[in-house]
Amino acid sequence: MGRRRRRRRVDPADAARALPEAIAALSQTLPAGPSPETFRRAKFDRPEAAPALWRLLFRVLSPQLADGASASFSPEAQVRSVKLALRTQGYPRRALAQLPDDGSQGGRELLLALAWLLARGPLPERLLTQNRVQLGDEMPVCECEALASPGPPAPSVEADGCVDIRHLQWLMGKLRFRWRNLMASQQEQCALLGKIHSYTRGCHSDRSLGHLSVTETELLRDPEGGRQLLQRLERENARLQAALEWRRRELVFWRWMDTVLGACPPEASQPTFLPRIPTPGTGALEPLVRELQALQGELREAVEARRAAWEAGVGGRGPEWSAARTALREAVGQDLAALRQACEQGGSCSLAQPHGPHRLVRTEAGVAGGPGLRAPEVIEALRSQEARLEVVLRQLQGQCRQELARLVGAPPGPVWILPPGR
Amino acid sequence: MDTTFTLLAGSLRRLVAELRDALDSCAERQRQLERSLRVSRRLLRAWEPAETLAPEPTPGPETNEEAQSAACIPSPQDLKELELLTQALEKAVRVRKGISKAGEGNKAPSLKSGSIVTSPATRASAPPRTSHRAGSRASETKPPRGIRQTRVPTKDLPECRLLSVGDQACMGQGAGDTKPKSGLRNEQIVLSAASQAPEAFTLKDKGILLQLPEAFRKAASRNSRLWAQLSSTQTSDSVDAATTAKMQFLQKMQTTSGWPGPRLSATEVEAEVRHLQKACLLLRLRMGEELMADPQDWMQEYRCLLTLEELQAIVGQCLHRLRELCTVPRSCRPWRPSGCGWPCCTSRSTWKRS
Repeated sequence: MGRRRRRRRVDPADAARALPEAIAALSQTLPAGPSPETFRRAKFDRPEAAPALWRLLFRVLSPQLADGASASFSPEAQVRSVKLALRTQGYPRRALAQLPDDGSQGGRELLLALAWLLARGPLPERLLTQNRVQLGDEMPVCECEALASPGPPAPSVEADGCVDIRHLQWLMGKLRFRWRNLMASQQEQCALLGKIHSYTRGCHSDRSLGHLSVTETELLRDPEGGRQLLQRLERENARLQAALEWRRRELVFWRWMDTVLGACPPEASQPTFLPRIPTPGTGALEPLVRELQALQGELREAVEARRAAWEAGVGGRGPEWSAARTALREAVGQDLAALRQACEQGGSCSLAQPHGPHRLVRTEAGVAGGPGLRAPEVIEALRSQEARLEVVLRQLQGQCRQELARLVGAPPGPVWILPPGR
Repeated sequence: MDTTFTLLAGSLRRLVAELRDALDSCAERQRQLERSLRVSRRLLRAWEPAETLAPEPTPGPETNEEAQSAACIPSPQDLKELELLTQALEKAVRVRKGISKAGEGNKAPSLKSGSIVTSPATRASAPPRTSHRAGSRASETKPPRGIRQTRVPTKDLPECRLLSVGDQACMGQGAGDTKPKSGLRNEQIVLSAASQAPEAFTLKDKGILLQLPEAFRKAASRNSRLWAQLSSTQTSDSVDAATTAKMQFLQKMQTTSGWPGPRLSATEVEAEVRHLQKACLLLRLRMGEELMADPQDWMQEYRCLLTLEELQAIVGQCLHRLRELCTVPRSCRPWRPSGCGWPCCTSRSTWKRS
């Protein structure tokens, strides 16, 4: 901020200010951020710093809660929730788990936990993204988010182990009905969006957008709601600004955190009574390794057999052979590119374009559009993905039939399986 | 047989859980859609004038005059004169456009700015707009055109713009002008003026008259600018130094803690395992396809061989990744703004009318 150019070295007053300013920026960008003074007290493990930091960690670790909802959790509940969330994420220090549940102690340990979260990933950016003010009509272009969610919890063992097949049929029918309703509602929404976009064309100050979105039109219809939206926008702007400030200044914070860590007494190397949280993933790890190894074995056998047959065979000799071979290799590479991508990437989305929801913008035919995706291309990509998934589904169904037949002990003939429907 | 039944029973219970989960998320999505639909339907009906009673005075010297004159209701005399003037202007624009678009053919009917498009031309509340903008929009019959082309006439007729500022002061008009210095109104003036009329505001008729308030526009553009700044990958010295400092801090945390703890978080391991399970399935299915295929000639045979070899390589890589999961500590990865958890904030999807 106030750099004095007449001196070449950094003014000590500036250096002293750098840390509180960095912390102030951090506080401002995080929800429920405490003052720099609280951070300082936390370093010395002062008890008055603890409650504020527990609250901060609670807000940071459960961002899906609305602003006011955290008040409905008691301090003890917040403390327990923070401890659980940190352990699930793999927080290494035991001392935090040993802190009392009433939230009265542990300032320094909480400070370390916050720094740990900040160091592992772009925490302020992620929080801002999750609660972002949406100004446009957002449309998802892939199902990554939905698929990345953990799914239903493992069902508890029920008293009677039998599930009536009719119950399953009923659930399936209900689901199909809800899908149809969803489709109809979605189509209606698109039609309405189309009308609103065309009625407000030319109204947007941003020429590349050209028309208003529902949110923007709504704020014009309802000025009170518009004022609230404006306030939210301005609050978000302040937090964004603070996040940028933080990025510029964070180095001095990390140097300070080293001293905080140094001020802690070293922990004993043997864990005594704390039970490990059973990581569900590791349970499924072993079977998966075995499955992959089995697959590898089968492939190896098949490859060896065919290679041998090939070498012994007559085809594929001569000068034109090497050209053909290269061409074939390329073709196979391309053929399997999608599969390879699906296996390598962290997600199941095969769209090569940016993920996440996009703002829907209507452009007139013939006008070159701005940056972003073109709807026909997205539709094409989604259709081909749908086709691929259909193929996989049919193959899986075939596998299931065979498996069932094997279990029942009958030859794989006509097994009466209820039609899945379309 | 018993184990078979318990296996099946377990699968059935999982299936029921999945179905219930799907039903819940369907219901949630339906609720969200219903909310959006309610809002959209309400927007397309006539808007309640009661909500738009007191227009806020917009700050800024250029709008002061207009704010003062906002209270005035234009007299019928003024309106008639304005109408005549506007018609004359439109004619002028028509002539100019006729000359300028001689080579364009017939594809820009909206640029002719022929008739005054807003049909309530004689109504006190919604007087005809200045021609060069009015003609290009709001017509239900003419195909909508790109906005860029309509800016040309504004440059040609500066005198019209002055007038338009003037008449806007009284009529509370304005839409679609990018230059804020022209002092365009707060849209609430439009709506309050509209409420004087016997008919209420409908988006269909007067949607193009809308304009976002100044304060909101500023905040929104600042917002998108800040998001762009935040998501741009900065590679400066300070950023690299900070990254190094963070990694060192993490390592120190790990070594000074009394409990080694899992290297990767449980959720991450789970996600990775699920992903690799799916990959395994896909690979097995593909292998099945290749093994069942019946090669007709040597080329197909070789192709089959190559495919199987490639599959073998991919499986090897998956196994390698799986083994890494157990051993390699998590590293501080640089922030990538286009991953799944970070919706691309500056991209927009476009939909074209084919």
